[in-house]
Amino acid sequence: MEGGGQDPAELLTLVARGDHAAFEVVYDQFAGPVYGLVRKVLRDPAQSEEVAQEVLLEVWRTASRFDHARGSAAAWVLTIAHRRAVDRVRAESASVAREQRLTPGPVTGDDVAELVETKLDRQRVRRCLGVLTELQAESVKLAYYGGYTYPQVAKLMGVPLGTIKTRIRDGLIRLRDCLEVTS
Amino acid sequence: MRAQRHELHLLTGSYALDALPDDERADFEKHLARCPACAEEVRGLRETAARLARATAVAPPPGMRARVLAAAPRTRQLPPMSRNQLARAGRRTGLRRISPSRAGLTAGVLALAAAVAFLLVTQLSTNSRLQQAQAANHQIAAVLGAPDARIESVPVTTGGTVTAVTSLRQEEAVVTTADLPSLSGARVYQLWVMTSSGAARSAGLLTITGGGSTTPVLADGVQPGDQLGITVEPAGGTAQPTTTPVVTVPVTA
Repeated sequence: MEGGGQDPAELLTLVARGDHAAFEVVYDQFAGPVYGLVRKVLRDPAQSEEVAQEVLLEVWRTASRFDHARGSAAAWVLTIAHRRAVDRVRAESASVAREQRLTPGPVTGDDVAELVETKLDRQRVRRCLGVLTELQAESVKLAYYGGYTYPQVAKLMGVPLGTIKTRIRDGLIRLRDCLEVTS
Repeated sequence: MRAQRHELHLLTGSYALDALPDDERADFEKHLARCPACAEEVRGLRETAARLARATAVAPPPGMRARVLAAAPRTRQLPPMSRNQLARAGRRTGLRRISPSRAGLTAGVLALAAAVAFLLVTQLSTNSRLQQAQAANHQIAAVLGAPDARIESVPVTTGGTVTAVTSLRQEEAVVTTADLPSLSGARVYQLWVMTSSGAARSAGLLTITGGGSTTPVLADGVQPGDQLGITVEPAGGTAQPTTTPVVTVPVTA
């Protein structure tokens, strides 16, 4: 195996064939974002660690289902991570822990060590979120980082359902266009 | 709260962020299979969501690496999908839905297994039927006991509910119903495996028992992207559905 700069899509193809060395590299490439994202949504460090581990093993287990024609390796892995985190949140949505999480935090500023190599990612995302209207940015953040459904976002923001659907889509499209330009 | 078709396209953003409630998510995935423009937009927005994810990266806890890397060799990997499955999957942009709580799933499967056993026992009269039923029971038990078994209950438009337990690994589903309205003598409920391309294959007739349930029916060759559908047909059933399904249950990966 080569170093960490290897193409993640090719690595996943190797992982699908049971290549452990390739999986180690995939782990090193994605453990930070997977854990960070899950923790962003779940907040609780112990639960986040458990879910992040499940996600990374899921990557190992289902690598044969990754299809590069349908998206990047990062999108595939991080979609699994977000889905798992959200499933966990919604499974316990009635619990007290959920109530304590109502306000999502900022994109950065957690008490955990941020990774140096993602500093640029964070700056770009923060800058591009700034291009959105406040309602768009808030809706996108509540939905993605908060793990809320769009009807929940509508309720939290006191805005009609139809408005939120549109704001989330418009905001995400604007974010996409901005990130494409700056990356 | 269900969206009209012309509004469905607006849901690409919420879908890409996993922000659709489950029922709307299922509707939207059906729509995606027929809307290449939506699928393409979702694909792009998922990449944008991944950028949002990357911005949250933090150092994982120490020890996690060793645990994950040690667990991998003990974890069996999924085989590649067949060409047929890949073609179907290509039309879906959603990723596999993770089953909710394992405990809830198991409870559902156990409840259904108990119902199946009860139905089989109450219907038996002769030895040959007993043997047939045991063979069917064995296959059904294999689906219910499959590690990847997933249970889904969906209300039927005309009343009652349908429950399907699906094992994609075995490509089989067990379908039962409760409280379907009874039909006049000349009509029956028929179960179909319907592919996303519109083809339908009969999986058999659903026989209503005294208790208001139907005999469990095993559908084979079930693939992600298919739907299990029930139609009302003339007695004896038909080769192809002749009426609109009263219910469909999506088979998701």
